[in-house]
Amino acid sequence: MNWKNVLRLISVDVKAGRLIRGQRLRRYRESKIFQYLLYGGACVLGLAIGIGVGSFYAGVAGQALRDLFYDGALSLFISFPSLVLIFGIVFTMMGQIQRMGVRYSIQPPYWLPISWGEHTLASTLANLIGIPSAFLILLISVIATVSVYLGQVPLATLTIFALLASAFIASTTTEIFRILQVRLIGAVYKSTGKAAVWVRFLGSMLFLIGFYVVYFAFTSGAGSVALIEAVAGAQQAVWFVPYVWLGMVLAAFMSGLLVQTVLFSFASLLFILVLFYVAVKLNTRFGLYEPPAITVSRGVYSPKVGFLGKLGFSSLEAAVMRKDFKAFTRRRELMYVFITPLVFMIMPLMQYFGIYGTSAAVEPSRLIFALILVVPGAIMSVILGLIIIGEEGESVWLFFSSPINARSLVKCKYAFVIIFSFVVMLVCSVIGILITRPSPDIALALLIESILLIFALGAVSLGAGIKGADFTEVPRPRMVRPLTTLVYMLLCLVLALAIFSPLLLHAVAVGYIPLPVSLPKMDLYIAVSISAVVALVVAFVFYRIALKNAEEFLLKAEI
Amino acid sequence: MVSTDESAVKLRKVAKRYADIVAVDYIDLDVKYGEILGLLGPNGSGKSTTLKMILGLVKPDSGSVDVLGINAEDDPVAVKRQVGYIPESPRLYEFLTGLEYLDFIGDIYGITVMEKKARIEEYFEALELEGREGDMISSYSQGMKQKTALISAFLHKPKLLLLDEPLSGLDPRSARIVKDLLRKLTVQGVTTIMSTHILEIAQAMCDRIAIMYEGRVLALGNMKELRQKARLPGSDLEDIFLRLTGTEDVREVVEALLK
Repeated sequence: MNWKNVLRLISVDVKAGRLIRGQRLRRYRESKIFQYLLYGGACVLGLAIGIGVGSFYAGVAGQALRDLFYDGALSLFISFPSLVLIFGIVFTMMGQIQRMGVRYSIQPPYWLPISWGEHTLASTLANLIGIPSAFLILLISVIATVSVYLGQVPLATLTIFALLASAFIASTTTEIFRILQVRLIGAVYKSTGKAAVWVRFLGSMLFLIGFYVVYFAFTSGAGSVALIEAVAGAQQAVWFVPYVWLGMVLAAFMSGLLVQTVLFSFASLLFILVLFYVAVKLNTRFGLYEPPAITVSRGVYSPKVGFLGKLGFSSLEAAVMRKDFKAFTRRRELMYVFITPLVFMIMPLMQYFGIYGTSAAVEPSRLIFALILVVPGAIMSVILGLIIIGEEGESVWLFFSSPINARSLVKCKYAFVIIFSFVVMLVCSVIGILITRPSPDIALALLIESILLIFALGAVSLGAGIKGADFTEVPRPRMVRPLTTLVYMLLCLVLALAIFSPLLLHAVAVGYIPLPVSLPKMDLYIAVSISAVVALVVAFVFYRIALKNAEEFLLKAEI
Repeated sequence: MVSTDESAVKLRKVAKRYADIVAVDYIDLDVKYGEILGLLGPNGSGKSTTLKMILGLVKPDSGSVDVLGINAEDDPVAVKRQVGYIPESPRLYEFLTGLEYLDFIGDIYGITVMEKKARIEEYFEALELEGREGDMISSYSQGMKQKTALISAFLHKPKLLLLDEPLSGLDPRSARIVKDLLRKLTVQGVTTIMSTHILEIAQAMCDRIAIMYEGRVLALGNMKELRQKARLPGSDLEDIFLRLTGTEDVREVVEALLK
């Protein structure tokens, strides 16, 4: 193992990760002061929390309360390795999700004299740099400081070692998962043949849903406490699972069981070595694996005519729309657009079913229904509008060299945004109606509001997406400039409130939203009509702006 | 709007700068209908920028560009409708299959369904892409991607072809087919402007060659005219190119590298 190689690879990996997250770095060697600030800040915060907690403990008067606090703190110490493991896996997996769609692999060049062991170790450690490390430093600082007040410095020292080992286990597990995922996906594509496109799309959706359900269940306030309690209790019961052995080391040490402490320590060390060995072997075996080609058809030409043509789209416009549909269902890096609508559907549903950190299910409310019905479609229209031009990437030369004019470009892109957002809205509506069973009046009003928002916000974001398009593809497709996204997201929020405000006033007036003000009652359908007028004006004005931006975009085409 | 002028492409005092770098330095160029013109020059000599300006992908800082009798700035869509273009490294939609991509291109140029079907099948067969047309382009080799890009440029039967390194990555058979095809198309009146680094290709295919260097056209003409200009009678294009661009003394460079 050449440690210099490992360190160099880590710095390359970290640098690539920052580029992927959108930071523009101009020099290879640069000041690391901001990185150190993050870790330094975490350390200072940890010390402050530790001193605060320790002082509180020192100031507790009653012995019973002191004992309760002491026992609670120690059981937390024992749970920490398993908690760090869970959070470590979640965070490093999030890092992997961020890298979905990175055009060029962040593997070390295979032709350089670098061993798979060095590569695997570097990749595993690089996964931990940034937020996971800052979180770890915070926790270690708290533990170290509090242990002084508790008089448990030896246990704290062991806990800190256990935390570091847990973080490494978490990252190695993610590394193994990543390699297996690539191999498995390749095998699935191979076996599914023509269905591979849909298998990939639905598989990605299921993965995102599963991941965010787990993530919210763990990270929501009451959910975290429930998790800590569960981990502390369950650890002893599942002692045979290697992932809890580090917690078992601490439990044995605390109980004064020296033999068990040594045994579980050796077992943990062995487990880490085995896990790392497996990761290296999998990388050696599948690291150079290329997923097989996806065969969509068997070469029989079947021209698509008809439906979009009947809706008034020219062959050029219909072709662009069909191409975009394929892009959003086939390109993995574009599937992230589904994350936000999914989250806005998952969160209220989890709350409704009582998974979201609370013990009891929440009564079906109009708010939940409004969230499920209105937000996903509207957000989808904003996100799609912003990226629908930039997603062309470097292939945009085709648009610039094709006989496409501004009117056609805006028409087909806007239509795609609307149709795609409609589909999302309809799917969410069906789920929302089935679960919350709202009155027909409310259902219809919210459905209309959702449609209005899609039309209006789609036009706003499309104009912005044309103006702020970013066709950079390496290392990650950017699609739209971050500042454009920020400014227009805020503008969309303001406009959405303006469109929705008549309905909000109606909801306050009739008491759906309890506020200590009395408003004159406004008929639901009058509120919806005012909304419609505002939305149509917004849509019209911003569609014109989009047209103007498109003319400029095609005129100033420089690639 | 279409003039009776015999030049398919006419560049007058065209210049383009990128910050401090002069990409194209006030060039004049006339390309006749049915001619194959080769743009030859070292890296950064302005070949690709010239091609992009003809198509309207890059706006010249000064000068005028007339393409097929149409001012490219006045009506860029009309120009693009009649041009087939391949950039140096064409990025295709890799999530589409070869067949879907060409179907998309056919629709963009408004080719009828029957025509599209016939032409796609012909080209796939000719360039030996049969059997892979249903695979996503992401799994194609560089040569296969280049073939797909070439088909997309030929599919709508353009009057002007602007090809940036068109034979890059092609196998010998496909390269031969493309060369023969371009020759046949000139007989039908199709004009071709191609940039290339491969001197043998330029010498074998082009009616005239423009040697570009640092944004300027150093020499323009057929082989005989170029030999006269370089004062190298009987020489091949490589010697002429090196002499005209002043880069002929490569011996010292090689010796330095061997140290």
